[in-house]
Amino acid sequence: MIENILINGAILGGLYALLAFGFTLIYGVSGVVNLAHGAFFMIGAFIFSALGPFLLSILGPLGVTSTVIPLLALILAAIFVGIAGSIVYRLTIHPILGDEVAIMVVTISVALIIQQLVLIGFGFSAPVTPFVSGSIKIIGVSVTYMKILAFVLSLGLFVGLWAFINYSKIGAAMRAVSQDHEVAMLMGVNTETLYMLTMAISTAFATLAGVFFTSALLAGQAVPHMWLEPLWASFAIVVLGGLGSIKGTLVGAFIIAYVEHLVAAVFVSQGGVIVRAIPIATMVLILLVRPKGLFGKRIEME
Amino acid sequence: MITAYLKRAYSSFAAHVFDVPPRLLAFLLFVLHLVLPVAKPDPFIQLTVFDIFFLAAFAASWDLLVGRSGQISLGHALFFGIGGYTTGILSVNLGLAPWITIPLAVLVGVSASLLIGLPCSRVKGPYLALVTMALPLILVQLFKLDLLLPITGGEAGVGILLPIIPSAFFRMLGFGSRDAIRAVALATYYFALFLVFAASVILYKIANSKTGMVFVSILDDELASKACGINVTRYKLMALAISSLFAALIGAIRGHFATIVSPGRFLDLTVSFAPVMVAFLGGIGTIYGPLIGAYIYYTLDRFVLQKMTQIPFLAFTDWEHVRFLIFAVIVIVLVIKWPRGIARFVTDKLHDLEEARDLDERGKWIWKTYKKRKKKE
Repeated sequence: MIENILINGAILGGLYALLAFGFTLIYGVSGVVNLAHGAFFMIGAFIFSALGPFLLSILGPLGVTSTVIPLLALILAAIFVGIAGSIVYRLTIHPILGDEVAIMVVTISVALIIQQLVLIGFGFSAPVTPFVSGSIKIIGVSVTYMKILAFVLSLGLFVGLWAFINYSKIGAAMRAVSQDHEVAMLMGVNTETLYMLTMAISTAFATLAGVFFTSALLAGQAVPHMWLEPLWASFAIVVLGGLGSIKGTLVGAFIIAYVEHLVAAVFVSQGGVIVRAIPIATMVLILLVRPKGLFGKRIEME
Repeated sequence: MITAYLKRAYSSFAAHVFDVPPRLLAFLLFVLHLVLPVAKPDPFIQLTVFDIFFLAAFAASWDLLVGRSGQISLGHALFFGIGGYTTGILSVNLGLAPWITIPLAVLVGVSASLLIGLPCSRVKGPYLALVTMALPLILVQLFKLDLLLPITGGEAGVGILLPIIPSAFFRMLGFGSRDAIRAVALATYYFALFLVFAASVILYKIANSKTGMVFVSILDDELASKACGINVTRYKLMALAISSLFAALIGAIRGHFATIVSPGRFLDLTVSFAPVMVAFLGGIGTIYGPLIGAYIYYTLDRFVLQKMTQIPFLAFTDWEHVRFLIFAVIVIVLVIKWPRGIARFVTDKLHDLEEARDLDERGKWIWKTYKKRKKKE
């Protein structure tokens, strides 16, 4: 029981961290509350499910092994959605930057458009098969290799992006823009390109999270309506950890994941509904107790 | 030459339209709706106009919250649905009369809005939007629980609600059973008409009262309003409560007319998105804009998009999805290109024309006096 919560909660936490990182990144850098984040998560899984057979039909006869193809499809899907995300940003969000109401209306419209496009193009569900099969027992809990792979990859990507933001030149530009975008512009940062790049990274990470989620946790089925819950979860994590704080995102993701698993273990029969309400309940609680979140000082990147 | 003449005729006409006080225009619109069922006794048009009324009033309540006080709610279906479900559950399970259940539904809706508003309105940010967006869908899940299933009916919804205007009343007055049904339809139409106009006028009055000015000041600059001694949180909560009051009222009455309150019609994300769409079509922050927006929405929906489905090339099987997609695209284009909506666009144009006319007249006057002086000389 406790081992179950410990291990599954950790895996969910890793995935949540990956999901929320993109959300907090675009919020911290450009101040955009991207309500379409969950939609990119969803469409990523669908594109991955379409790319897998397509790549197999092209590269299969050339002798590429079937273990490489899912990874290739994952990378291609991330790149594709990243480019799409930055185009969406340039076309829809950039003209209204700074107007909070307009941004929220536009991003929710984008999310609905993506949902409808997926419904038209892919139908009501698509299979996202795990790339690796088999399972292993860790302290008495059976964990599939896919879950372990997803956990390791998401934590690795999280650390990679954190290092990118903290030690690269573009990351320095991102931090500068998040602190004061006018001064950053004076220092020669091209904010428009930077915002587009940030959006591309954010949506690519959402895609990766979407593929890992559907293949490792959601029984391998992607559905067009699955964008809302990740959106609330990532928002709740970001609020819990403090808006724009990377450390807070990581801690918040694990807290929310563990709380969800704990509650699911306590209310076994009615778990589904209550677990869904947890992110929102946590958010309301945090707003009441400590509105700036656990690690939030001001809205800025650490 | 003809175009110049037409342009002049239009500008003079437009200027005259602008001279008409808006109060008179609203009154004319009201009279037009009043005589519509007599002038054109078509049940389809009557039902469509009936739907338009409800959508317009619902969107007007959204507009007061978002367009005037700047708090964004992306789940106004929450209050609409709470209104509908409260009256539905009370009326079906306890058999209470509508005149008791509807006020109770409004009460529940307002208290829910205060419960949500207390944590969310204290802090500036997108919190209210996310919470209101999430709660209707969580409520739907909650209603499907085994514990609540007998009361709420799950996916099928609560039914059948008592009618506000019972046909027995007309039968008692001596109508035949067929005439009674027709009389009920007519009475329903007029009830909705009076309700919506009353709600719109009250919302408009609130929006243009002193309190409404405070809402706008919060929207424009929260810090400056605070510095002026305005209790920002209180006024934000007030805006939320007023808006949710009307949303719950309209939801409750809508529930009684629809006879069944189901998640798909009362708590769905599409229900939340409808007022956003309608308000942006008509003009956000105007309160009267949503009525125009609702008309535009229904014309587009019923008469343009449904005609398009008859074109063989466009006859998708999943036309519902395409329809929704088109409206989402329209909203994005409107927000980016025409953020003030169509009603505001028209009134702005009229205003410009009036200014141009004034300038024109002034120019003519100057030219005349100049000529007169020359003659004298």
